[in-house]
Amino acid sequence: MGKTPEINTDSIKSILKQNRKQIKLGLAMCAHCSLCAESCFLFVSKDNDPEYMPSYKFINSIGRLYKKKGKVSKQALEEMRDLVFEKCVLCTRCYCPFGIDIPSLITLGRSVCRTHGLFREYDR
Amino acid sequence: MNMTAFLTIPSIAVLLDFIRGPLVWLSFIIFGLGLIVQTFRLLNLTQKKETRRLAPGKEFVPQATLSKRECFFRRLAFLKITIIGQNACMVMFSFLFHVCLVITPIFLLGHNVLLDTSFGFSFISFSEKTSDTLTLIVLMSGLVFLLRRLLLPRVRILTTVYDFILLFVAIAPFLTGYLAHHHIFNYNIMIILHILSGELMLVMIPFSKFFHMVFFFISRFMIISEHSMGAPKRSWQF
Repeated sequence: MGKTPEINTDSIKSILKQNRKQIKLGLAMCAHCSLCAESCFLFVSKDNDPEYMPSYKFINSIGRLYKKKGKVSKQALEEMRDLVFEKCVLCTRCYCPFGIDIPSLITLGRSVCRTHGLFREYDR
Repeated sequence: MNMTAFLTIPSIAVLLDFIRGPLVWLSFIIFGLGLIVQTFRLLNLTQKKETRRLAPGKEFVPQATLSKRECFFRRLAFLKITIIGQNACMVMFSFLFHVCLVITPIFLLGHNVLLDTSFGFSFISFSEKTSDTLTLIVLMSGLVFLLRRLLLPRVRILTTVYDFILLFVAIAPFLTGYLAHHHIFNYNIMIILHILSGELMLVMIPFSKFFHMVFFFISRFMIISEHSMGAPKRSWQF
């Protein structure tokens, strides 16, 4: 999967740059303990599907973009859309024992998706 | 050549003296300075915020107070929806692991003897049996974390090689210390590995995920949030 011309890396980079400290701190401090899992009602209602874990959602959306410096394929961005729009309703009830603000990190993932016209698809 | 003979080779002996002497100092200095610098860097990301607290109006009439028994059961019911109720086993192991990880090396007899011979002061020491038990608790909790990482799908999906390295670095000083104390395998090798792994852990604390030992207290006790404890007066400024 190479970089496709549809992806505007600069717009992603500007979001990443503006929020660099927050993303960096969130990624650096997450101990991958998975204790946030049960705080997500979707995780519980979807038979404990690990993809619904709050930490998984932020690490694989904005975290992945940060690690790849915004250089992702359209397909990868669509997968992130599924994570941040379809698998999260942003109810802000997720709880991190360390106090990482997961909802705001997921919001950043949503902002990046929006810049590329990727939203929640209500007619799916 | 056996190990003991190997360790007495002059060049190796110089290296061992370096590991036991200057390297210990260096790692403590990096640990201390790193901790201070990183803590200030973290505090720089926060700012003072005016807090508003809602007070009940004059017309507020307190309801009949609950009996102690009712209070206790309400608190117990609340615990059920927290991570203590949801993941009781993990929380217990995690708590024991962290407490033992910090107190065991500080109050270990062997370490205090070294402190006393070097500086003429020492902390109170646990008995050898107590230290042994605490070390075993750390090792057992480490094993639980490892198995959790390997077997539970929800942890496995997040786990990277780095997580295993961190777990290994945290456990290594305890494992080697235990083996050295009980003279399992070669004592000389074990004690050197013990010193090296301890130094590695100290150096890594300020610059890795281990820094959560500071981040936890800042984010939970100093930052205003729904789940913060105490009376925090700051907020993040990203």
